[in-house]
Amino acid sequence: MRDYHGIIFAYSAAPELRELVEARTAASLPFCGRYRLIDFSLSSLRNAGILDVGVIMQRDYQSLLDHIGSGKAWDMSRKTGGLRMLPPFGLPEYHTGNYTGTMEALNAVATYIRDIPQKNIILMLGSLCANIDLDAAIRRHESFGADITAICADHTPEGLHHRYFVGDDGLVDQVRFDREGDCDGLASLECYIVRREVLLDLMDKCRSGHLYSFHRDAVNIFLNEGGRMGVYIHPGYACAIRSVDGYYKAGMDMLNTGNRSQLFPADRPVRTKIHEEVSSYYGEKAISRRSLVADNCFIEGEIEDCIISSGARIAPGAKLRRCIVMRGCTVEAGAVLEHVIADKYTSFSAGTVLTGSPRLPIVVPKNFKI
Amino acid sequence: MKKSCIAMLLAGGQGSRLYALTQNVAKPSVPFGGKYRIIDFPLSNCANSGIDTVGVLTQYRPLRLNSYIGSGQPWDLDVADGGVYILPPYQSAGEKGSWFSGTANAIYQNMGFIESYEPENVLILSGDHIYKMDYADMLREHIAKGAACTISVLQVSMEEATRFGIMNLGEDGYVSEFEEKPQKPKSDLASMGIYIFNWQKLRSYLIADENDPQSSKDFGKNIIPAMLKAGEKLWPYRFDGYWRDVGTITSLWDANMDMLSTTLINLFDPSWPIGSRSPVCPPHFAGDSAEITHSIITEGCEIDGHVENSVLSPSVKVGKGATVLYSVLMPGVVVEEGAVVEYAIVGENTVIRSGAHVGAPPDGTDAWGVATCGPDIEIRGGALVPAAAMIYTGEEV
Repeated sequence: MRDYHGIIFAYSAAPELRELVEARTAASLPFCGRYRLIDFSLSSLRNAGILDVGVIMQRDYQSLLDHIGSGKAWDMSRKTGGLRMLPPFGLPEYHTGNYTGTMEALNAVATYIRDIPQKNIILMLGSLCANIDLDAAIRRHESFGADITAICADHTPEGLHHRYFVGDDGLVDQVRFDREGDCDGLASLECYIVRREVLLDLMDKCRSGHLYSFHRDAVNIFLNEGGRMGVYIHPGYACAIRSVDGYYKAGMDMLNTGNRSQLFPADRPVRTKIHEEVSSYYGEKAISRRSLVADNCFIEGEIEDCIISSGARIAPGAKLRRCIVMRGCTVEAGAVLEHVIADKYTSFSAGTVLTGSPRLPIVVPKNFKI
Repeated sequence: MKKSCIAMLLAGGQGSRLYALTQNVAKPSVPFGGKYRIIDFPLSNCANSGIDTVGVLTQYRPLRLNSYIGSGQPWDLDVADGGVYILPPYQSAGEKGSWFSGTANAIYQNMGFIESYEPENVLILSGDHIYKMDYADMLREHIAKGAACTISVLQVSMEEATRFGIMNLGEDGYVSEFEEKPQKPKSDLASMGIYIFNWQKLRSYLIADENDPQSSKDFGKNIIPAMLKAGEKLWPYRFDGYWRDVGTITSLWDANMDMLSTTLINLFDPSWPIGSRSPVCPPHFAGDSAEITHSIITEGCEIDGHVENSVLSPSVKVGKGATVLYSVLMPGVVVEEGAVVEYAIVGENTVIRSGAHVGAPPDGTDAWGVATCGPDIEIRGGALVPAAAMIYTGEEV
């Protein structure tokens, strides 16, 4: 049994995801035709043999519960330990708002964290799209002898992010918040390996000081007290999904074979809930270019640079360019869609024309009929 | 736990007429229709019909089949008081133990398993048929007709009738005569090899048959004729849906091609799901120069070539400029740039190198046939595999 325990933050509201998170959390957003974002953190943990995992959630978690079930798909349905879904249970009654930050979320489930038998805890972001080799990260954590290891990207991600600066001794000596674009230091993926005692201590300090943020508060306290924080650089694709255009861009990234092979390496498979499904069928006049198509689809029209989830019905004469189509959508003959994100079970009647732009894709909310 | 009906699935045969495809695996575990293996059909039919206890009789090369079935979870058959059981031949105290010597003997040797469920009826199935059938409906008819045995039958043409076991009916509608591959058939009702027996009746006939040294211990050849001779009531259950025996290369290829017609058998019907165990792969990817028409493609495939009228299992790769026509590519097959595969069945993980050509279109001669490559073969660049060829694993081509 490994001396590591996983905690996944799946409570994030991410308002910039707009309609996409009307009835779900960012962690349960469908991605790449058949996955949900949380599959990446669950699979990263599973592939490193870490099967004891708590998932912190707060609201709108129906779709998340539905997807994760008992955790069997990730071998996390165990007799002892395994997967636990953690709704807020340690909060005072009057607390009705969203978690203000990671430390508040951790304190809301403090009794669970205190009872974790393992000595180390891996904190992961449920909305991070990355297949992290946690075995390698743990080796780094152990050989370096750090109390906290911050997992960082090998590239500069789009949008705001935190950056760590590392001294000659390999220790983090400075952290800068909300950076954008290319600059010095390493971009944080907001995943950490932390010794449990250290985390409990930081949780207590933040609680007593009414401090809520992991980065701004806990990391600062830790560094000011002279704590040892190392870094592990994750080589490969990584993208935290926070906004509609970020989601759209990450989706389009998957049409690139290089990105895909970094996210889906053969030796660290990404697991997900299995649906009963048939192979997909292509009609006699189908055209499919640079597109990802899940099982159980009927492709009879034209798709180009698209991601098509299972259950899609693309009628003859329909044309889709640069679209993300979620489960169970129907596009009738002659409909033309460009730069559209079609949420689950939407349908487009014959002759519909919808054109978005790359920076502003049109989002069609779940169950909409156009 | 007393059950009204349990199923016994005969999956021990070698399937020798599939040659290279069953060199190392039993016929029921041969991939079919993209996502499936042949055994998915009877197992899913059982689950969808409410039969939750299935004994799978294995004998020939069972490793792949055993690991494929596992706990039965993909078919929702991992239930308490039932489930899927793998039943291999075994040895008893003081006996030498013996292989299953026939279909009836296989059931005879597993009477202990059946008795533990005290079933009223036993459903006997084969592991080499593609069809969707509600066994519960057949069971209702079996009980209503007070039959000792109900045999599922399919109406075939009189020409085809010479290749099947044919049921002749009496005036009361019950079976009066059974003829194996008759020269001059008197009826067009062919046995599908699916039987429901009253267990107590079957039990006594199995014991009697076992004690007959002349018997070949076969349901069609011995048990059914013996029951008819003794005047038992045998009822024909008429089935009019899609049903194919996939015991030969040609029939396996034909049935795969049938999957391209969505009207013959509807696998997309959510009320009758066919389960399968498959690794989780990303959706399939159609590349820049992909041309895919009238085909079935499964997740994990990477297609950059021309695919037409073909059935592709998970994780097949078709390189740029490669052509795949009227073919069945099993899981993990790689067709490299510029290679051609037509009218062929290619086994799991076989690699067709650049410039190789497998199979040929029909030329109207009797010698023509589907080309077959077994699993784990490398067809080297420039090689020519002619029509009707059969390439075994381990051969160099």
